[in-house]
Amino acid sequence: MRCGLGIEARQVDEVAINIDPIQAGGRLTADAMKAVIAYGDGYSVCDNCRKPNRLDYIAKPPIASFHKEVATWLNMDEARMVPGARRGFQAVAHTYVHKDDPVLLTSLSHYTEFLAVEEAGGVAREIPANEQKIITPDATAEKIEEIVRDSGKPPVIAFIDHVDYQYGNMHDIKAIAKVARQYDIPVLYNGAYTVGILPVDGKDFGVDFVVGSAHKSMASPAPSGVLATTSERAAEVFRTTAITGDVTKRKFGIKEPEMMGCTLMGVTLVGMMASFPHVKERVKHFDRELANHRIVTEALLSVEGTKILSEYPRKHTMTRVDTIGSFDKIAETHKKRGFYFSSALEEKGVTGLIPGATKVWKFNSYGTSEKQARYLANVFVEIASENGLTVS
Amino acid sequence: MSKRAVDMTFQALYTLTDIRMILRDTAPVHELDDKQRADAQRLLENLERQVASLKQEMLK
Repeated sequence: MRCGLGIEARQVDEVAINIDPIQAGGRLTADAMKAVIAYGDGYSVCDNCRKPNRLDYIAKPPIASFHKEVATWLNMDEARMVPGARRGFQAVAHTYVHKDDPVLLTSLSHYTEFLAVEEAGGVAREIPANEQKIITPDATAEKIEEIVRDSGKPPVIAFIDHVDYQYGNMHDIKAIAKVARQYDIPVLYNGAYTVGILPVDGKDFGVDFVVGSAHKSMASPAPSGVLATTSERAAEVFRTTAITGDVTKRKFGIKEPEMMGCTLMGVTLVGMMASFPHVKERVKHFDRELANHRIVTEALLSVEGTKILSEYPRKHTMTRVDTIGSFDKIAETHKKRGFYFSSALEEKGVTGLIPGATKVWKFNSYGTSEKQARYLANVFVEIASENGLTVS
Repeated sequence: MSKRAVDMTFQALYTLTDIRMILRDTAPVHELDDKQRADAQRLLENLERQVASLKQEMLK
């Protein structure tokens, strides 16, 4: 079935359990799908745009109140919706980082944080993770001291991931932010894997910015995300335009340069808004998601030779698995080589694993029901048994 | 064409969306429990009514 010339209708999540690590939290709610139907046209949210002509002032649909609600929900003072978390990183880096400024990242930071720093001319300095792949407050302090020794000044800002994309490990953001504050370093909290998944309280964490990825973790169409901040920092990162054209003498009202005026001008924003009540509710029940995830990780660990490379017990539903000692052994002699594993999963109605991956891979069980989690667990055990691996 | 036809078109699309969610919630085997079966029954009946109304509006 096609939905356009050469475009197959995507039915991935209707026909299979999708464990793709980056897709699980971004699956739309029914309300978001309905909003997509109604607001798919380009500038659809602009029907009732009135002075002062800025996205976050539109009252119908209730975009203005949505912005306030998101800020309150994250316990910050102001929020703007952005085209993905990366645009949040970019806005903050462009505001605070100048040529050759050191910026504190971590050895588990997402590449888009690096690119945001690079674009602003900054120098990436990474806090090393420990052997357990955790970023600690002590390592943060040591790195800041090292940077001060090298550069003669502390980093101008710190980008810290609460849950990292590589292992899905949870880092003590509150303690790390406390260390950064002792050096007057503003902190950007990267909540790409947390905002919309579990409760986030920016002020309790002691951070200056909260960035979330709506298409990754808030059941929203891409590209969408959120940048929230304090009143003090809002005056900086959400400063309004001051430019004037020399011929026309035109000025541009209260448009914000870092937001390039208006940001999510249609279906992405309304999709976020439609999912928001469900997202607010679901973060309160993350324990259920972890319980379902445990069903799957325990099944994987029952296959002899399988290791969980992420911290364990798990605090997040995105997990890195090492199957060199189990499923990868089969690949050595199987006629499909490494592709047998993803192929067997697909045949049993499980998708999202990188085709060919049998050594180290990630999966995310977020959003599966308990029944689906048990089905998924059983599929891994079945594939192991069918291929002669020992299951305890 | 009446506003009613437009409303019925959207309502039918939304009903189909709710049906789609049941398919997602029950993937990959689509074995419905009692509640899901009851929900599906209600949605399909609504859809039939909505399509009938739409037919009536558009072809009158």
